[in-house]
Amino acid sequence: MSNGKLGKFSKEKILLILKKQGILIFFAILLLSVSLVSDKFLSLRNITLVLRQVSITGVMACGITFILISGNYDLSIGSLLSLTTVIVINLHDKIGPVPAILITLVVGVLIGIINGTLVGYLKLNSMIVTLGMLTVLQAVTLIYTGGTYSAISNPEEAWFRFFGRGYVFGIPTPVIIFGLFVIFFTIILTKTVYGKYLFALGGNRTASLYTGIKENYITFITYIVTGLTTAVAGIMMGSRMMAAQNYIGEGYEFTVLTAVVLGGTSLFGGSGSVIKTLVGVLILGFLSNAFIMLGFPYYVQWIVQWGIIIGAVWMDVASKRGKLWA
Amino acid sequence: MGGGIKLNIEVSYLLENLLAWSIISKNMRGQIELKKLIIVLALSLILVAASGLVLAQENADIVIGMTANNTGVDSYQTLHDQAFREKCDELGVEYNILDARGEPMRQVNQIQDLMTKGVDVIVVWPVSGQAIVPVLRQVQQEGIPVLIANSKIHESGFELVKGFAGPDNITQGVYAAQMMAEALGGEGKIVEVMGTPGYITAEERSAGFHQEIEANYPGLEIIETQPANWNREKSQEVMENYLTKYDEGEIDGVYVGDDNMGVGAINAIKSAGRGSNLKMTSATMFADGYDEMIAGDILYGTLYQSPIDDANYTAEIALKLAKGEEVDFFNYFETPKVTDENIDEYERPVW
Amino acid sequence: MKNRILKLIKEQSIWIILIFSLIFFGIMTANFFSFRNFQNILLQTSINGIMAIGMTYVILNGNIDLSIGMIYALCAAVVIGFQSLGIVPSVLIALAVGLIIGAINGIFVAKAEINAFIVTLAAMIGVKGLLFVYTGERAIIGTNLNFTYLASIRIGFMPLPAIIFIVLLIIGEYILRNTSHGRNAYAIGGNQDAAEKAGIDVKKHIIINFMLSGGMAAIAGIIAASRMNTATTTLGRMDHLWVIIAVVLGGTNLNGGYGSLIRTLGGILVIGILNNGLNLMNVHTFYNMLIMGIILILVIYIGKKFEVTKS
Repeated sequence: MSNGKLGKFSKEKILLILKKQGILIFFAILLLSVSLVSDKFLSLRNITLVLRQVSITGVMACGITFILISGNYDLSIGSLLSLTTVIVINLHDKIGPVPAILITLVVGVLIGIINGTLVGYLKLNSMIVTLGMLTVLQAVTLIYTGGTYSAISNPEEAWFRFFGRGYVFGIPTPVIIFGLFVIFFTIILTKTVYGKYLFALGGNRTASLYTGIKENYITFITYIVTGLTTAVAGIMMGSRMMAAQNYIGEGYEFTVLTAVVLGGTSLFGGSGSVIKTLVGVLILGFLSNAFIMLGFPYYVQWIVQWGIIIGAVWMDVASKRGKLWA
Repeated sequence: MGGGIKLNIEVSYLLENLLAWSIISKNMRGQIELKKLIIVLALSLILVAASGLVLAQENADIVIGMTANNTGVDSYQTLHDQAFREKCDELGVEYNILDARGEPMRQVNQIQDLMTKGVDVIVVWPVSGQAIVPVLRQVQQEGIPVLIANSKIHESGFELVKGFAGPDNITQGVYAAQMMAEALGGEGKIVEVMGTPGYITAEERSAGFHQEIEANYPGLEIIETQPANWNREKSQEVMENYLTKYDEGEIDGVYVGDDNMGVGAINAIKSAGRGSNLKMTSATMFADGYDEMIAGDILYGTLYQSPIDDANYTAEIALKLAKGEEVDFFNYFETPKVTDENIDEYERPVW
Repeated sequence: MKNRILKLIKEQSIWIILIFSLIFFGIMTANFFSFRNFQNILLQTSINGIMAIGMTYVILNGNIDLSIGMIYALCAAVVIGFQSLGIVPSVLIALAVGLIIGAINGIFVAKAEINAFIVTLAAMIGVKGLLFVYTGERAIIGTNLNFTYLASIRIGFMPLPAIIFIVLLIIGEYILRNTSHGRNAYAIGGNQDAAEKAGIDVKKHIIINFMLSGGMAAIAGIIAASRMNTATTTLGRMDHLWVIIAVVLGGTNLNGGYGSLIRTLGGILVIGILNNGLNLMNVHTFYNMLIMGIILILVIYIGKKFEVTKS
């Protein structure tokens, strides 16, 4: 893309590097600079803590990555997280942990089917419709529990706590689960036909329209995927808390979206990756932790997030078109 | 259970009308069968009118209006809501109970709606103790008495309302401080996990704690305070961060605004394996806290505060106001200390 | 003739829903059809209504503004915080805050060409941070009682906030129909490339519309502050959702290019009536939420069936 002038060539190359590794470079700078001030920041204990804290968001982010790549939104995941956490906790004592887990997964799939039908087959606008589902699912959660909180009795003796509190070879279980999802979803995205269709769907809707039937179906399946990841996240959350409050998932839809976007998956659809999402999730987690370690009030991080999100996406679009401003 | 039946009829007619709409869409292929639509709509309107006549027969002798902070956000508020309704049924009064869902503007609107409806007393569990003061001025001009429930409003509004019914949060903070002093033998460093900042209950419990420590226990020091907004998961995070920031021996005690947050913090303490060196006191007992106190050592003391007592007491005072009787301004109900020593006197709470 | 009626029903479906809900609640509750109650509804809907004006402009362009809830809250805090300077200066400062944040949003969307969803999502988070930093998490109480009277003034039977809303609405609709800025808004939403090629300064218009959105949020915040005389951090949390819902209910197409402010008014009124009616009917709050959500989805579904496509 050189046009002979040395100055412009370097600028393009810099932009290219920034695009490919920009967010990683930022991440590295963040980690290094904070660790200079706080010696506990990069301790094994702290890193483990942050990884565990982001796992739940991370699992949901895997599903949302797919949704965004295909060019849609899902704003109902926060309420669905509330619902699935409440269900798994509530049913644990009543019918046993394994049936409770199975039913929770089924609920996730069911809600995915509803969303998938509304957006995929009925072709309603995904933003508004999932907004409506946000309200509906939160209401369903409240009605289901009658507003009371649910808890597992004898939490110390229940094996269920393994998902949220246990360790596998010294690594917290939620982190393992998150890692598995990242690997699994990356494979699906890059190595399967479904993955190719996702990119096609988001990237160039008119071109993929000739495979009309497939489009509805792919969208439909993708919402089921999100329903499942949210249900798994709910099980992890329930296991971590061994109790569930009705509004526990409130706000997660924006946290997850922020993480995915930060990682570099484009909201225009058509591009993205689960690994990028992983980076985005980690950045958010370490940023939040950094503020506490440095002793700043937690709300200052939001202002920083504003800058980072805009900066990250700006670098991304700027590198695609080759210049900073359009 | 007048409220319940009413709801079912209303919901079913709503559903019926929604059904009418779905019939329209089924027939859409560029044509609406207008006749069918009109018939269905007319039928449902007639049925709705009929039910309206039936419901209008119920006479409202006294109507208590209430706007709650955020029903459903935790068990305490939900049980308070339920108990309030049951008490009103028992007392034989009608009620209109609204939920502000944690939004101050919504609560202002709801107070106005209750005014319009002409209820005999308005009970407010404030979302924000300051934000409702202007609208309360209007209510006072209307002549409807107002009772503040559970969490106080700003003192500039005291002259506008008839009274307050609820726990004495400052004293709760004081009791928690006294128990902490007992637990730590008068010496130690304490971290605090607070409720939602700006919410008067959270502020008063914190203030009461600080005030008592400063006044009577020079050996105790509060080294940090962070909010967890009454949220168990957030509290767990906050505690985890405290434990990472402060090593063994740097913290001796944890003060939490309520057991719900307390259990979150205890989770963090246990997974970090520091349960043997930390003591916790809390300002309100929840079921999990009860279990924790019996089974473990970390939670030293908490306070018994029953939402059912709270609601019953509030309902009774509201009724008095509705009838035009005078009441005391501050109506506190007892929230006694609970520790290992006297926990057998208390039943496991349902909240 | 039948086709014309059909088209009319298609375009104006929001009014049918409005009339339907009026009748429904009129029958189901005792005090619904009272003068007082309608005054309340007008007053209560004016805050979201004003924000919906700005949002309509933004959506007409094919964009969206998720940050209005937080701009609203921040401006409410600012107008209270600066009260010691006097009512007029504090109002002007609050307005400026709204316009500036709107401009920032607009610049990133128009000049950096970043997706509006992301820009305003990031702004929503950042402005919330500004709000917390400004208030220090505590509520700020206003000291000037005169300020609270602003919101309770009535001219005739209309509360002042409602008058402000209606006036802004009329001006807004006039601009949309009769000025080049208005026509361009539709053009940009309809087909941004074509609009650009036709010589329209797309960037300038987008920035102006985001500033409008921020400015409207600021006015809404000033009115809210007047009603509460307090700056709190809990304001504005869900308002952006309901404003977007109202605009979409009113028939404005989320992809841009089609819509009208008058119909947005319809959407705002329907939501206000639903809230008010369900309150008067004493519907339990959990079912209240369920009903609102289901109705939203249903209306979107019906709207899709009745959809007028831009051509």
